[in-house]
Amino acid sequence: MSTAAVAPDLVSALVRLRATLADCDLPFEAADAPAARIERGNLVKQLDDYIIPRLQQIDAPLLAVVGGSTGAGKSTLVNSIVGAPVSATGVLRPTTRSPVLVHNPADAHWFGSDRLLPDLERTDRATGDQGALQLVGTDQLPPGLAVLDAPDIDSVEQRNRRLATQLLAAADLWLFVTSAARYADQVPWGFLRAAAERSTQVAVVLDRTAPGSVREVGSDLARMMTERGLGDSPLFTVLESPVDEAGLLPAPAVAPIRRWLDSLAADESARGEVVRKTLSGAVASLGARTRLVATALASQEQIAARLRADALRAYADGLAGVDEATQDGSLLRGEVLARWQEFVGTGELLRTLEDRVGRLRDRLFNAARGRPQPAQEVTVAVETGLETLIVEHAESAAERAALAWRTLPAGAALLNAAPGDIGRASRDLRAVAERSVRDWQGAVLDLVRTEGSDRRTTARVLAYGVNGLGVALMVVIFAQTAGVTGAEVGVAGGTAVVGQKVLEAVFGDQAVRELAEQSQRDLHLRVEQLFQQECQRFQDVLDQHTVSAGAAEQLLEAVRNVETARWTSEPSP
Amino acid sequence: MSAMIENLRRMSGRSSDLVERLAGLDSAVQAADGRLDPELVAQGKALVARAGSRLKLSGDHTVVALAGATGSGKSSLFNALTGVDVASVGVRRPTTAEALACSWGPDEAGELLDWLGIPQRNQIDRTKLAGSSPADQGLSGLVLLDLPDHDSVEVSHHIEVERLVQLADVLVWVLDPQKYADAAIHDRFLRPLSTHADIMLVVLNHVDELAADRVDACLSDLRRLLTLDGLDDVPILATSAARGDGLAQLRAAIADRVAQKRYARERLAADVRVTAGRLAEQTGDAAPRDIGAAAGGELLDACADAAGVPVVVRAIESATTQRAQQATGWPVTKWLSRFRSDPLRRLHLDTVTRRSLTGSSDSAVDSASRISRTSIPQPTSVQRARVESAVRAVADNATVGMTRPWATAVRTASTSRLGDFSDALDSAVAGTDLGVAKDPAWWRAVRGVQWALFVVALVGVLWLAALAFFAYLRLPDPRSLDWHGLPVPTLLLIAGVIGGLLVAAVSRVAAGASARRRAQRAGQRLRAAIQRVCADFVVAPMQREMDAYARCRGGLTAALRR
Repeated sequence: MSTAAVAPDLVSALVRLRATLADCDLPFEAADAPAARIERGNLVKQLDDYIIPRLQQIDAPLLAVVGGSTGAGKSTLVNSIVGAPVSATGVLRPTTRSPVLVHNPADAHWFGSDRLLPDLERTDRATGDQGALQLVGTDQLPPGLAVLDAPDIDSVEQRNRRLATQLLAAADLWLFVTSAARYADQVPWGFLRAAAERSTQVAVVLDRTAPGSVREVGSDLARMMTERGLGDSPLFTVLESPVDEAGLLPAPAVAPIRRWLDSLAADESARGEVVRKTLSGAVASLGARTRLVATALASQEQIAARLRADALRAYADGLAGVDEATQDGSLLRGEVLARWQEFVGTGELLRTLEDRVGRLRDRLFNAARGRPQPAQEVTVAVETGLETLIVEHAESAAERAALAWRTLPAGAALLNAAPGDIGRASRDLRAVAERSVRDWQGAVLDLVRTEGSDRRTTARVLAYGVNGLGVALMVVIFAQTAGVTGAEVGVAGGTAVVGQKVLEAVFGDQAVRELAEQSQRDLHLRVEQLFQQECQRFQDVLDQHTVSAGAAEQLLEAVRNVETARWTSEPSP
Repeated sequence: MSAMIENLRRMSGRSSDLVERLAGLDSAVQAADGRLDPELVAQGKALVARAGSRLKLSGDHTVVALAGATGSGKSSLFNALTGVDVASVGVRRPTTAEALACSWGPDEAGELLDWLGIPQRNQIDRTKLAGSSPADQGLSGLVLLDLPDHDSVEVSHHIEVERLVQLADVLVWVLDPQKYADAAIHDRFLRPLSTHADIMLVVLNHVDELAADRVDACLSDLRRLLTLDGLDDVPILATSAARGDGLAQLRAAIADRVAQKRYARERLAADVRVTAGRLAEQTGDAAPRDIGAAAGGELLDACADAAGVPVVVRAIESATTQRAQQATGWPVTKWLSRFRSDPLRRLHLDTVTRRSLTGSSDSAVDSASRISRTSIPQPTSVQRARVESAVRAVADNATVGMTRPWATAVRTASTSRLGDFSDALDSAVAGTDLGVAKDPAWWRAVRGVQWALFVVALVGVLWLAALAFFAYLRLPDPRSLDWHGLPVPTLLLIAGVIGGLLVAAVSRVAAGASARRRAQRAGQRLRAAIQRVCADFVVAPMQREMDAYARCRGGLTAALRR
């Protein structure tokens, strides 16, 4: 990649990828979610901190990040390379908390926060703040080279580890420092493996080594590097030696490293080669890493869809249960049937056919005894029955939905975080159900009244009373099977036939069928609305975390664009 | 498992505090099995098993493990403490691949070492080696382990360390000035083991690498980090295996712990505290409730309704009235009522009740298998919904204040047997003696009276007929009998008819009353039977969960008591 070959296509593809990555959220718990979240964060940071700015300013000085374990002597090494105490050293771990960037004063303009590591605040003093980057300009370093002293990668200080990861991802060159006591540690090798995989350019420094063991340790470390794909990386050895009063190692101890860095700074093409390798390795690694995020994102979409479907299915089943129970005539048995028979039996309905006196007498008699009107009792029985049905089905739907959710870790996490226990019906459901059944009954009566306002029928409606006809209509609805009224409606049908006959006598055959269908649909809609409200509680919990549909596909599309742009801008492999 | 606890109780002779705690944890874990987090339960079971086997092994030995990062000098310290160069030390990392053990003391520690999983070739008996010093006397009873590292690229080492850290009685964490702040040791070992501070020692080795004036600063920084881990009071020793600094103190600290012979128990007690504490977190501290008391009222009403008790009661009332009328009615008209069907027979309850009278048991559930289905209508969806709501309400009331896993267990149990519930209710109704099989004595008496009155009327009729016949044939009148001027046969006829009608009327009223009484009694019996079914199908499964909860809480209280 020569200086001229800054690829505008690639940069814009990367910017789009960055925006897509920043937008995609992974809110649900799943086996692959935590790793994908971290990877996504790292990707966004690396694109921001390194890949995009680096592609735009390919001439910027080479940034060598000195990273490694706590206590390996990174800061001492940096100070000794620079030849001045620019970074604090000490025996207390972790020593370095805030990163220090050392550069030639002529290169200062390259390191503003608009160019590199934009989220780190620039300072000119040493601070203990992980959010600040201390810039030190010194003539000791040649132009074209900058050295960054990063915090450790393995101390108890978690923010240090995160910052070091971020800084290493922004490096053109890693100066990875380890020590005789450290060189076989697991954590640094995790970083080195990632570097090898992304063809990041690495130089390993074996620091703080006793003269007696240099040979053995050095060869063992070289063996490990070869085994792990870093055979081509330079390995420098720095003996454990006393520091002078300024905290610097004797110049000969770090001379080979200094020489190597100077030669890199002097040779523009060698420097460009290092930058190119690391940068193209980083860009090449985007594909696999983004696909990992995209896979996790796709499974997030599936999780969200499945949870939603589970909740909807549970409530659809509940609604179907209510529908079935209100249509198969079973609601007519028990209490409603008894009250209906009483109503029919006491003759309120039939007696009106014969004489008004009877009804009047009954009314007076009942009023005197303080008993409610039989028609009223049927209404109450219907109300109680419907309400019980609705509440129980809503309750078991909530239970089924919660049970289905709990089979997924994401669902269980959502349920635990949900306000209140949504695995049960809402607290005020009974009251709401009661109100909506009453409303429905009111609507049925209205319907009868409206239908009866027709001149032909008014007289007959008045003869039976709106309440009586309304009750008869409810009974007929409950005895209907799949919308077909008629004689074959089972056990309970027998009693409904009376109601049917009366209604037909008043309104006519066709009108009764329409009335029944209309009020049945009305009931269904009211219950449906109620169940929707119940189901909404699950959906609300789900909607707090949105996974936009097709996000995974967009991500894959963005990364495909990056790959295409990379191949066209970089024809040589 | 409880057999093992019994064994331990016997072995320890007197009641040992630790054994009682273990017994508590054991019963809590058993009760929590299948109800709380399976991972935690498995952990508890493993702990009980581990503690059982450790306590059976030598109580005179104390296992002290040297643990730490690669290069911190565990093996050097091991060699310095044993006085023999057995552990290989070197600059190649990681040096130690397998745990090494050295035992001191008069008794063989072979069995304990086998339990620890230390292979024979890595076991050293210090007393059998030459050159034992008087200092070694103080270490009698010590089993010193040199563990592999926990932070090198060799993952097999980490697994071995994690295994042995669980088993050792005293843990000596060996740190060094380069690595004392590593996340690997603080995050993975020291912080999670902050509950085990009493059995831990921290050693800062390689102090020879620090300038003399920096040692204290380093130590106080280490103290700061340990405090952050929650290990405020852990002793810290500064040593140098190379120079010999602090070795005497370390040896003395170890000797002191070995001599006390309580660290094996101390460690297990800490383990029990941690596991029981986690279980207690999931269990909560709501007092267990008696389900039986909570299940009454609405549940019983709903079940009775679903089982058709009102239908049966009404049927009994009308059937009894009908039968009473048949038995006590006026013989001339009562045959008419035979054409009406008996409501009880219609429900198929008649034959059953008669049979159940002959059976010795009146328990509904016992006789359930012998009883055919009744023809009481199946419970409707509304009735079923009402029963389920009532069951849910009972479960809700019972689980107020309980933690989620336990409340879920109780709620799941509450509906676990509702599938067979309606059949069982039906059997209970069918199997209940409704008390209608035997006709009351007064019916027979009234029937006798009725027949007597009928005979009287009949005699009157016949007499009158005879008189009429005589008159028709113009035969002389037989001597007529008068009573107060009224002819006796006429009197007989009138008295018989009026008496019969009167008795029928009176007994009709009485029959109504007795039918109501019978219906009421049958209703009570039915409800009692239904209550028994409820107890079996709803209360018992919930009570089982509640008992497990109570056992778990009791066990945890025993395990965690001060």
